[in-house]
Amino acid sequence: MEQTKINTRQLFILAIMFELGSSAVIPVGTSAMQDVWLVVLIGLVLGMALFLVYYRLSQYYPGDVLTAYTERIVGVWPGRVLAVIYIVYFLYLTARVLRNFGELLLMFAYMETPLIILNAIMMLTVIYAIYKGIEVVARTGELYIIGQALATAAGFALVIMSGIMNLNLLKPVLQAGWGQIWKTAATETTFIPFGEMIVFTMLFPLVNRPERTGRTLLAAMLISGLILAAITTLNVTVLGAETVARSVFPLLDTVRRIEVARFLERFDAFFMIVLIVGGFFKASVYFYAAVEGTVRLFRMRKQHRLVYPLGLLVLIISLATASNFAEHLKEGLQISTMYLHIPLQVVVPIVLLCIAAFRRRKAERKDHSGDKSDS
Amino acid sequence: MIGKWRRLVVVLICTAVLPGCWSQNELNDLALVFAIGLDLTEKGEYEMSVQVVNPGNVAGATQRGGGAGGVPYTVISATGDSPMEANLKMSLKLSRILYYGHANLVVIGESLARKGVAHALDALERNSEFRTTSRVVIARGQSAKETLKVLTPIAKVSSNQIQSMLSHSQTLWGHTVEIDVWELFHDIYSTGVNSVVSGINIVGNRADGAKQTNVQSTEPEARLVLDGLGVFKQGKLDYWIPTNGTRGVLWIMNKVRQTNITVAWQGKPEAIGYHIVRTNVSVRPHMKNGKPSIKIRVEALGDILETLVPVNLADADQINRIEKLIEHSIWKELTAAVRNMKERKTDVFGFGEQFERNYPKDWRKLEADWFSVHFPQLDVSVEVNAIIRTAGLRIKPFKRTVELGG
Repeated sequence: MEQTKINTRQLFILAIMFELGSSAVIPVGTSAMQDVWLVVLIGLVLGMALFLVYYRLSQYYPGDVLTAYTERIVGVWPGRVLAVIYIVYFLYLTARVLRNFGELLLMFAYMETPLIILNAIMMLTVIYAIYKGIEVVARTGELYIIGQALATAAGFALVIMSGIMNLNLLKPVLQAGWGQIWKTAATETTFIPFGEMIVFTMLFPLVNRPERTGRTLLAAMLISGLILAAITTLNVTVLGAETVARSVFPLLDTVRRIEVARFLERFDAFFMIVLIVGGFFKASVYFYAAVEGTVRLFRMRKQHRLVYPLGLLVLIISLATASNFAEHLKEGLQISTMYLHIPLQVVVPIVLLCIAAFRRRKAERKDHSGDKSDS
Repeated sequence: MIGKWRRLVVVLICTAVLPGCWSQNELNDLALVFAIGLDLTEKGEYEMSVQVVNPGNVAGATQRGGGAGGVPYTVISATGDSPMEANLKMSLKLSRILYYGHANLVVIGESLARKGVAHALDALERNSEFRTTSRVVIARGQSAKETLKVLTPIAKVSSNQIQSMLSHSQTLWGHTVEIDVWELFHDIYSTGVNSVVSGINIVGNRADGAKQTNVQSTEPEARLVLDGLGVFKQGKLDYWIPTNGTRGVLWIMNKVRQTNITVAWQGKPEAIGYHIVRTNVSVRPHMKNGKPSIKIRVEALGDILETLVPVNLADADQINRIEKLIEHSIWKELTAAVRNMKERKTDVFGFGEQFERNYPKDWRKLEADWFSVHFPQLDVSVEVNAIIRTAGLRIKPFKRTVELGG
């Protein structure tokens, strides 16, 4: 178990990097066509509500992580099974992030390089980072956020300056009706990226000022949600909703349209680096959660020994789960929503919270009656 | 000691991985493609031609025409069932690997344009090396290959020349349109709009255009000239708008930046030249009782650049009267453009798209026969507001009227 601490600012930065890491790259909520911004915002609100569930739950067990207090809520063995499920879930999500960025590199830069090489190199950096400890990742984040923020601002400025935005493309608003909007929000954007914040419950014990954790992460969610809404809006105004829905990496397509003064153009390679950095943080946070969960579950002393086998496992999962990118996206946006995100991000935490609250109340009542008999 | 060895191993592994030379191509193995030409052969195959830069003859001290083999680029072409196949077949004729990252122009031959460009453009849009910000022109009346072969003065590589012509001509004269592959591709797939692309023509002796001698004279035998506007219907080139009729169309599309208007004054035709410095057009769709209508509002700001008749430009009343004349002249041009498009049943202005965006429910009823019924019957009103800013450096013309010939 790590004795390290990260401060509030580092947590905030990690959360922003995590939220925008891959959701800025892959098509999120595109089935809502030009209303994707609305879908993102609704997803943000629902996701924040979900986060309050996670946060409340962890407040019952301060200093403990999600995979550890499951044992204390539903009993030792069911709790351990649940913990294993969550660990596998985090591993799978690490692999998904890895695959996203591997495919991105494959498509835009390394056409002839096998995917396994790209994924392996990226995974090596993640393994190395987690081997060094999450606080190293957090401190790296403090450095990188400056670059990321500048690049994001520059990206927006360049798109606006090149005059390729057409606000008319956002019309007609609500063409598909509220039904479609809610459906998309409730099946896509709530879980990716906002519900994914459940992984931060694995980081709570590390925060040096726990009383600020909730506020910090909610603020991070709000900010990254607004940025994500802005990015998706940008994609629609530049490309049009149909192209965004057709595109594999809408943001990079948008960036490829930038052309200012006939020489500020062809930024895709540059922004690819920016995006990959975000992906690194997302994969690192997930991978840390998986490693930390395993270490606590098996009461291991030296956590960094686990980093290599689990890292290799992630690499294999990232390659084995889908034979092509279309399949990968379908799994991510449809199948895992149904069978992974909804159960593990919504149902289980809410059930756990109910049980925990019930137990707490029972314990308090017992305490009360104990007090009375004492007096 | 073990620590040292381990470090060495790590360093060696890093050197193997970090250079990232998995699929590297050396610069001297690459042929930089500047322009792509797409044609359809008589057999129905795609013919792809590329303009490949001859590095030694473009930059540096090597002078055009000085010494042997001074042409700045070479044109290679191959045929195939698809543009991609043609592209790969070109390796039979070339010692280098074609690199499309710097291509900035796509020329589509008229024969292919007439048959439909969507398939050809799909290959380009999909490719991550090729940039869809490349401009498109249509080779009018000849093949794209012939167009790419013509050597041009001033800009050594003709694709740069064509591109500059497109951009400058659009901003200065407003009769051509600078459109890129992405826009064309998307207009083709949009429902309520027809796309337009500028045409390019070879004027003069076509056969000599490809020879070095073409640029050794002050007046080249063959010249590339932008000519007309090709209108697409369902991805196929339908007809050409002649150059003198293109401005009204482009104006409504808000593609005109600067241009020149001449109006008659006191019975003298073309007497006052008005140069537009800035202009903006807003198109507003309206729906009344299920009947669509369009309101176009044009704002123009400009200077008087020439007067062939005595007119006192210090007089505000005179200025007002000239402004009215200019407004009427613009109004006439735009309404004529709308009328022409209605007759041709091609909605290049994207009025349909305006309704699609602003009146999605009504659009569902209009969509099916927008081009055949609703667009030709559309009620379009044009309103122009022209402002004369200055009249150059002189307020009044010469006192004595000089009778100019004609």
